[in-house]
Amino acid sequence: MKRSREQTVFMITFLAPAFLLFTVFVAMPGIRAFAYSFEKWDGLSAPKWVGLDNFAALLRDRDVFAAALWHNIVLTVGAGLLIVVLSLLFASALHRRVRGAALFRVTFFFPNVISSVAIALLWVLLYSTTDFGVINSLLGWLKYEDFGRLNGAMDVARGWTGLANLELPFPFTGKPYLIYSLIPIIVWASTGFYMVLFLAAMEGIPESYYEAATLDGASEISQFWHITLPLIREVLTVGLVFLVIGCLKIFDMVWIMDNEWPTKETHVLATLMYQKVFSEYNIGYGAAVAVLMFIVVFMASMFTLRLSRKEALEY
Amino acid sequence: MLRHVKTGFLYAALLVWLIAVVVPLVWVVVNSLRTSQEFVKNPFGMPWVLAGNANELPVTDTESAWESVKNNYTKAWIESRFQRYFFNSILVTSISLLGIIGFGAMASYVLARFRFLGNRALYLYFITGLMVPAQLVLVPLFFQFTYLSHAGSALLAPLGLQVELHDTYTGLILIYIALSLPFTILVLTGFFRSLPGALREAGIIDGCSEFGVFRHIMMPLAKPGLVSAAIFNFIGLWNEYLLALVFVNSDAHKTLPLGLAAVSMQAQYKADFGLMFAGLVIVLAPTLAVYVVLQKQLTRGITVGALKG
Repeated sequence: MKRSREQTVFMITFLAPAFLLFTVFVAMPGIRAFAYSFEKWDGLSAPKWVGLDNFAALLRDRDVFAAALWHNIVLTVGAGLLIVVLSLLFASALHRRVRGAALFRVTFFFPNVISSVAIALLWVLLYSTTDFGVINSLLGWLKYEDFGRLNGAMDVARGWTGLANLELPFPFTGKPYLIYSLIPIIVWASTGFYMVLFLAAMEGIPESYYEAATLDGASEISQFWHITLPLIREVLTVGLVFLVIGCLKIFDMVWIMDNEWPTKETHVLATLMYQKVFSEYNIGYGAAVAVLMFIVVFMASMFTLRLSRKEALEY
Repeated sequence: MLRHVKTGFLYAALLVWLIAVVVPLVWVVVNSLRTSQEFVKNPFGMPWVLAGNANELPVTDTESAWESVKNNYTKAWIESRFQRYFFNSILVTSISLLGIIGFGAMASYVLARFRFLGNRALYLYFITGLMVPAQLVLVPLFFQFTYLSHAGSALLAPLGLQVELHDTYTGLILIYIALSLPFTILVLTGFFRSLPGALREAGIIDGCSEFGVFRHIMMPLAKPGLVSAAIFNFIGLWNEYLLALVFVNSDAHKTLPLGLAAVSMQAQYKADFGLMFAGLVIVLAPTLAVYVVLQKQLTRGITVGALKG
């Protein structure tokens, strides 16, 4: 069937708005950012082409850039491990249809819809070192409370966890500890998302596999290792890539919790980029950081795309 | 026996997590109904209005207790201008959503349903946008907004329109729409592809125009997909902070996350925790409402998007 004139006009009008907006506000600035990363520019005077100097400066900067990168890695690995373990545990529990599964699923996911600014502020209050700091009060209670007959066991636990030697109140949001204190927050906020993701994958596994395994006498734990985990492997990989990308882009929480002025103890890549560009007017350097972030996200996404293009396992 | 221990352990883990998620949020709501003095004295207490005089408050009569409770919200809403920020957030989010869903559905429909040279390339062009973090585009956009404003004004001059992107709703909305299109097009193209193609031919034979088919046949059928994409984008945009921080300067144009951050910084110094809690509730409430009503569509949208990759 030959395409009519009307059809052509229709297609162009329908594609044009999305194409124009995307090109002007995403594609072109994206390319421009690469150009910036090869320039020395303060935003006012004429930019100067410096080749790879900005990237060389990043690599030589063992002080701030290395610290920021390290913090992103700490967050990715620290929070990532906890999130994967917890979300798999919860997802497999809900998958085996424990009572109240719907309630758990809906509630656990909820922190994902909360603004990260609000989450950061909430945890600033929870972490507070003053009398109303909930977490410090809780730790104080665990450290000093008389548990009667359980005191012996508590003392061992206190020694093991280091609580016995911990000086309270502990400054969780103080500069040297802030990055580590972010880990529980990220875990609190994101576990539900990964649980829902993994649960959806688990629900695609045919029930008959588990029935057969049960008949053969396989325990639930070995069913998890030998049926569930191998069959959700691809979604698990997608989840891991999401985690890497998510932890790489972290900005809001650090920015808010360090009073909008992070320093090398607390910087992550995104805050470093922001400060370089908007406070120090070192736009080339900031753009180089952004380009590196893009390269990591790009590689991680390509990895997922390749995975999903492979034939899905046939059940 | 072992089975019971395992089930017990699982339940314990689930319950601990349930408490860890719910209690902090309930804590925020409860404390937004208490005065700052009450909170500092006992962070775990009930609001005076509910608990009676159990907290040994300086407040002596019920009326002034009510006053102090209402005070947090009035102060947040009026003095701290949450009213303004709320309105801004509603405006920016809803116009962005209209643009995202409208333009996204239009492009997705053509990409999903029409064969033409470059279709695949154009689809990949949009999808590549999924990999572009906001951090990459915000620097060039910030420095080229003046140029883009001039270009836009020159282009729209025949219509008598002026374009200003710096520190305006327009600038923020256009960026929000553009950055949300890749995900939306990914989800909606998949959705339009799953609709039966014979419907279009039937519509055309019955004398519908191409636009008529889209408007009266395809859009109603795509509603579940549109709703999922809309909720997902709503939550992302309502909570968006970084881009708003870069592109909005004046207080009059601030969205809720910006306003909340600014007000809370001051409230902390002044130890005005009641105000801070009230602010948190104002930001949380709309997403909570949307989530409670539409959580199924939201989680479905996310899994569809994620599993497709």
